Amino acid sequence: MSEAPINSGRRHFLGLFRSPVHENVLRPPGAVGEDLFASKCIRCGRCVEVCPYKSIFPLDVHSGIWAGTPIIAVMTIPCYLCMKCVEVCPTGTLRPIQQDEVRMGLAVVDRYLCVTWRGEALCRTCYNICPFKDKAIRLDELRPVVDPKHCTGCGICVHACPMTDKGLGASNPTKKAINCLPRS
Amino acid sequence: MKWSFLRRVTLSVSFLVILVNPFLNFYLHFNFIQGWYQSLGIGNLWIVSPLEGLESILLSKTIYGPLLIGMLLPIILALLLGRVFCSWICPISFLSELLDTLKRPFTKRRFFKDLLRLPKWLIWWALIGDILLALIVGAPFFVFLSPPGLVGREIMMAVFLHTLAIEGIVVIVVLGLHLLVTRRFFCRYFCPLGGLLALLGSKRRLQVVLDRERCVACGLCNKACPMGLRPQDGEAALPFCWNCGECVDHCPESCLSYKWSGADQVAVHSPEENL
Repeated sequence: MSEAPINSGRRHFLGLFRSPVHENVLRPPGAVGEDLFASKCIRCGRCVEVCPYKSIFPLDVHSGIWAGTPIIAVMTIPCYLCMKCVEVCPTGTLRPIQQDEVRMGLAVVDRYLCVTWRGEALCRTCYNICPFKDKAIRLDELRPVVDPKHCTGCGICVHACPMTDKGLGASNPTKKAINCLPRS
Repeated sequence: MKWSFLRRVTLSVSFLVILVNPFLNFYLHFNFIQGWYQSLGIGNLWIVSPLEGLESILLSKTIYGPLLIGMLLPIILALLLGRVFCSWICPISFLSELLDTLKRPFTKRRFFKDLLRLPKWLIWWALIGDILLALIVGAPFFVFLSPPGLVGREIMMAVFLHTLAIEGIVVIVVLGLHLLVTRRFFCRYFCPLGGLLALLGSKRRLQVVLDRERCVACGLCNKACPMGLRPQDGEAALPFCWNCGECVDHCPESCLSYKWSGADQVAVHSPEENL
């Protein structure tokens, strides 16, 4: 199920007020900044209901004041940028924007993990799967390079990347060789 | 039993919408109707619960056009008809009445008794307290726990994520209080959404009015009122009345009736001035 790598480990009391957004755990497209998100979102869950890929799920009570807000754990299921959620949000917490305007996060290649950057293999999974191929991810001397100007942060590359910190194709990785970081 | 039958049909249909719709959306990608009674989208018609919308505006200090438009319909409904959402639509009402129906064979009484009665104005403090608390915490956190929305969210979670959220315990507590302590205990005294709708509907057009000349003071209406009001003493005109029509149905002399008061009869203020 949605056992995403969030809420893991012990949480301090202040964790109830700290934003749950971190590496590979991101807001849906068009989200307002985290400073506004908790107050603007009414936890109606319509984005969760409309998402055809079940990428979005609501946070539970462990997230304190963020409980009920939508989140996408891109390592489990990334965002496929269908843009249905931004159309149904009644509060403007997810603003109605175009597909190429999405800036959920920013993909960053871990050059110490990536087999291509390490020179061990010629993998270009992230490049092949990127919906904005040659713009968001291009190949520089056959190695993947992310262009922050075009990267939507959808996390499709993170989901597809076979290389993890626990080894190739490990089942419970904490990160991949390419990861989505929050933009702000 | 005309009004209570109509009302039960409306309640059942409203509940069926949020019960069946998640299945349609999940398995058939129907998606014509989305959400539940926090925010309901029927095609391009958006309905947003006024309390949720108000908190979102107050807390984020931003205004979003579609949100205001979504709040318009429930606000107009409350201004004209009062707290009818609570008695005619709210899933908590449906579940409470369902429990009543199940409970009835086990009790010999015609009416259920209220074990604990609190001052009616507590509901105003529930509304104020809720908004203040939300402002202090900085998140419309209470709407997350608000029972009318919670029922819908739990159904959606069960269908979509095959799990139930722990906050659903609030619904069980609310229904338990209704069943064991006082009818509609939460709705009467502690529901912030009910408080807001009651405030909006305090100068409502549709009211239950009493024909004092024909009243024989039998007191059946007082016993029938799920809100613990005394329609026999004219308390149906209070903001706390939610126009469910139980008293109208129970009056043996039919001296209680719904009345739509025109602009001339409504008190000095127009409803808009009281916002």
